[in-house]
Amino acid sequence: MRTTGKKSSNTLVRDLVNVGIFGALYLVLSGLGASIGFIPAFIVVSTCMVSLVTSVPLFLFFSKVERPLLCCILLCLLFGVVMIISGHGISFGLLCVVYGVLAGLCLNLFHKNFIGCLLANVMISFVPSSMMIPLWSSTEEYLAYCSSVCDSAYIAHLAELSSSYWPLIGLFGFGAAGAVVGGFIARRVMKKHFERIGLAQ
Amino acid sequence: MKLDPRTKLFLAVVANGMIFTAPLVYSLLMVVVTSILLLLEGKWKFVCTFFFVYLGAAFFFDLAKNLDIGTSGTIVLASLFLMYRIMPACAVLYYVITTTKVNEFLACMSRMRISNKVTIPLIVMIRFFPTVFDESRAIGNAMRMRGIRLFSLRTLKSPVAFLEYRLVPLLVSITKIGDELSIAAVTRGLSAETKRTCVATIGFRWVDFVVWAYCIAVVVMFLLRN
Repeated sequence: MRTTGKKSSNTLVRDLVNVGIFGALYLVLSGLGASIGFIPAFIVVSTCMVSLVTSVPLFLFFSKVERPLLCCILLCLLFGVVMIISGHGISFGLLCVVYGVLAGLCLNLFHKNFIGCLLANVMISFVPSSMMIPLWSSTEEYLAYCSSVCDSAYIAHLAELSSSYWPLIGLFGFGAAGAVVGGFIARRVMKKHFERIGLAQ
Repeated sequence: MKLDPRTKLFLAVVANGMIFTAPLVYSLLMVVVTSILLLLEGKWKFVCTFFFVYLGAAFFFDLAKNLDIGTSGTIVLASLFLMYRIMPACAVLYYVITTTKVNEFLACMSRMRISNKVTIPLIVMIRFFPTVFDESRAIGNAMRMRGIRLFSLRTLKSPVAFLEYRLVPLLVSITKIGDELSIAAVTRGLSAETKRTCVATIGFRWVDFVVWAYCIAVVVMFLLRN
């Protein structure tokens, strides 16, 4: 079938609108999921919660976009820009773009099948995990910033976490595990609800 | 009083920068200018509510900051901190969102030579936050009528089912809204590859220069002090 340039630019607009919509939803849901981290014992597992909550919207997003690489980069970039505006460093924004590229490549490589979506979900789950890297890379400043928000027991717990690199590995590990489990839940939900009513392929 | 969208963006960037990285006094300086702009737009009710909640949160945060209050206290303290630290940023965003029309924003971004690939998601995302909250509230009410609540025995038994009950209707709803939005965007010629024109006149006036000068003065003051 002959395709025209007009059609492709129409789908581009649809993809861009989807990036905006799912970007807003991703921000809201990740904020809700991460709020569990206010309890000191759950700081490390909060990334798992974020991945679990955001898996279903991300799977729906992957199934709806026609330019996965561009859309994943833009989604992560939007998240990065919002986080930079709210006080995170430029380096976090760059990391977001890297994760976006990797997620897009996973989707392109596996032609948006389940494995591709799962890998892309894991890549995007590293975005919220990376938000706490300053706790290890610039501990003093991060603790000084947190001391104006939290009580001394919470700061002491953060300082205890920063003394070893295992919690950092745990943050990424739990994030990835949550993304994998969330991916399987998302596949079931997609089949049960969205594919049945024609909202996803 | 009508400001150029570029001035509003600059104000938002400077205000957010000051609110999240500078001491409280700079945040207050940005709050003052935003409040004046909101009052000039006739949004006095919002300004009064904002100041009431903002000063209340700041007062209680200051009161509770030095107390040993444990985990539950940390959650309350963090909520108060978020309120009094993030509320000024929300006020600035409220001003930018409610007073900027989409076509003016698009025209201004295109004048700044920013690609549509960045502009469209950004504008959709900013405009979509209230929709997400409205839809979520409506779905929450509907679920509450059916006895599905966050703090109930049923939710404790199957948290995944609760997530499904709340998340799936929300996703269906916003996906449909998104599809309608895409169709509307294409109908209005957003996908056209030619240069777009805009009926609204955008450009700098004396008010814009005053706001720019004020923001630059605040930034310079902050840099000199540090």
